[in-house]
Amino acid sequence: MGNVSTKVSIEHLTYKYPFAENVSLEDITLSIDAGQSIGIIGRNGAGKSTLCYVLSGLIPRFFHGKITGKVTIDGEDVPTMPIERLIRKVGLVLQNPFSQISGAKMTVYEEVAFGLENLGIEKDEMHERIDTVLRQFDLYKKKDENPFELSGGQLQRLAIASVLVLKPEILILDEPTSQLDPRGTTEVFETISQLKTLGITILIVEHKFEKLVEYVDKIALLHEGKLLGYDTAEHIFSTSEIETYGVGQPIYTALCKRMGLKKANGYYPVSFGETAALMNGLKESGMDRRTYDG
Amino acid sequence: MAKNSKLTTAILVLIPVAVGINYAGKLFASALKLPLWLDSIGTMLSAVLAGPIVGAISGAINNIIYGLTTDPISFVYALTSIGIGISVGFLAKAKMFNNSFRTLLSGLIVALVATVISVPINVVFWGGQTGNVWGDALFAFLQSKNVGIWVSSFFDEIVVDLVDKVLCVFITFGIFKVLPKTLVYTFKGEE
Amino acid sequence: MRVLSLYVENDTFIHKLEPIAKLLYALISIVITFLFPSITVGAVFVAFSLLLAISAKVFKRMLLLLNVVLIVLLSMVIIQGLFYRQNVTPAFKLWGLTFYKEGLLYSLLLIVRVVNMIISFGVLILTTRPSDLVDNLVQKGLSPRFGYVLASVLQIIPQMLSTTSTITDAQRSRGLETEGNLFQRFSAFFALLGPLVLNSLVEARERAMAIEIRGFGVEGKRTFVRQILETKTDRWIKISLYVAFIVAVVWRIILWAM
Repeated sequence: MGNVSTKVSIEHLTYKYPFAENVSLEDITLSIDAGQSIGIIGRNGAGKSTLCYVLSGLIPRFFHGKITGKVTIDGEDVPTMPIERLIRKVGLVLQNPFSQISGAKMTVYEEVAFGLENLGIEKDEMHERIDTVLRQFDLYKKKDENPFELSGGQLQRLAIASVLVLKPEILILDEPTSQLDPRGTTEVFETISQLKTLGITILIVEHKFEKLVEYVDKIALLHEGKLLGYDTAEHIFSTSEIETYGVGQPIYTALCKRMGLKKANGYYPVSFGETAALMNGLKESGMDRRTYDG
Repeated sequence: MAKNSKLTTAILVLIPVAVGINYAGKLFASALKLPLWLDSIGTMLSAVLAGPIVGAISGAINNIIYGLTTDPISFVYALTSIGIGISVGFLAKAKMFNNSFRTLLSGLIVALVATVISVPINVVFWGGQTGNVWGDALFAFLQSKNVGIWVSSFFDEIVVDLVDKVLCVFITFGIFKVLPKTLVYTFKGEE
Repeated sequence: MRVLSLYVENDTFIHKLEPIAKLLYALISIVITFLFPSITVGAVFVAFSLLLAISAKVFKRMLLLLNVVLIVLLSMVIIQGLFYRQNVTPAFKLWGLTFYKEGLLYSLLLIVRVVNMIISFGVLILTTRPSDLVDNLVQKGLSPRFGYVLASVLQIIPQMLSTTSTITDAQRSRGLETEGNLFQRFSAFFALLGPLVLNSLVEARERAMAIEIRGFGVEGKRTFVRQILETKTDRWIKISLYVAFIVAVVWRIILWAM
């Protein structure tokens, strides 16, 4: 708070779904700076999606239930902000590419227009914005096709385009690649790296850690509704407890932990690049022939 | 998020799904060579989930869409579907599905409602027939015995509706009971 | 089949008419044929509707639509011809059964009405892009939320049905009985429909969330990416239809009064 660059601020957030026995989020406090990319990790039921729904305003507007604590974007209270304002600030992309398609539109072009029509954007601006996002996401050639004809990866890009056409400042992606094949996953991650260059604040829930660590500045680790860690990927994954939360870790981190290879700063590498660099370094210093006692 | 309207977005999205379930029911029934339509389960389920108004809307849209895509005649039977949606919605509110006996009773009521609405339509459009082979055979028999057209048409319709609607009601509740509560809650109309 | 629709893409005069004008023709022609218990009135409308279908180049598809009700129409001729309550004048005998004039004429009246209904609506359905009809209605004042339901239903159903084959295969591989006796087939019905219902409700909830986040719940002025235009021709067609409707109703009332 008070910091000019703080985009999202969450203080002591606790939430319980109607008909649920336990709280889904418990006393979460964190803040996100403008333009940052945050990864959210945790095993099933940790509260990752729930956090996405709170930030995008679906809780308490769509899901009722009991919410306490404070959630603000640019200092404005999220749960009570008028929805038309909130939509222009936050966009949300869900897991299943199919169920995010409005279903009411017969072409890709009209599907992207859906949100703009709802907000009453004038026709000229509408066309301009749609053309821009379709080109940006390499969907322009598909503009006259039926959305349901697209592949999973294309559909997920369409979902992202349909949200980004509303020009949100924050984009939340809830496991956007979990139902996609490797090619679709690559397509989506390439899109995310494009978005980073545009200065959009990004929150992404993702299980594919090797990909995730390449794109995020920080990682939030959730476990049973609590925030257990909020730090850089190397901090989060270097702890020895990480395995006990059942979230796994990047394959490179696991490998280096096994080999006892740490970076100069004392943390384990998390990405392919870091690991390769570390190993090359070892090779040059003649330590590649070292034997292990395991 | 439209707070002043009972038709929340979740409910609006439920309606096409209800119509789709009707279609699927019909499709599975004919694939399994079941001698019934079983094409109102979606309408009934939407009524149980979100109340009589939503049931009525699902029913109406079901027949409008069916009329627009396969059989223009089904437009006029939209009234019957509306009746089914409304009656199931109210019966669910009155807890008339709490045990097998009540459910059976509800099934009979729904069948009766469907028949009472369909008969005038049959008389106006088809001279009393329903288009179902067994029902129409009975209709022809009753007509030949000089029974009035309304009574003949009533029996023509009810022989078909009775079994079909009772079974649909049972299937609807069988499915409804196993749906997760958190999911069911989303589609509840705000009261 | 991605969209549940009988729309046949083409570029005829009928295709280019405003969807609402075509809808109005269908509704008014149906009402008029039912207002007048006259075979002639019915036949005139059937002929006119057919003319429209031919000029829209959808005559063959129209025959397929009519095919659906063919058997019921035939059975109507037989049942009414034999058993119509006001039957008195024998018309002809067939296999020892006497067909009566009154019943045959009555069934003919029913048939022209039903056939006109199918053809006039058929013209609308076969020549109109479904989402254009919905957009047209919304632009003329139908609630956009209701318009959404109508438009989405046409795409959601094929989407759901395309998953039915997946579900059927999955259940078969678990040894589901789709052939056995009636009871087994009923349990099979349950096992097929249950998962479909659960899946589609979960997807429905996600879709509701996704469209909310795209401003579906925002109240206020909306804009349209596809504006359906009303030409002068459309306007004249609609005016003539209203006039025909009013004349028919007045005429009918006068006939009753006399």
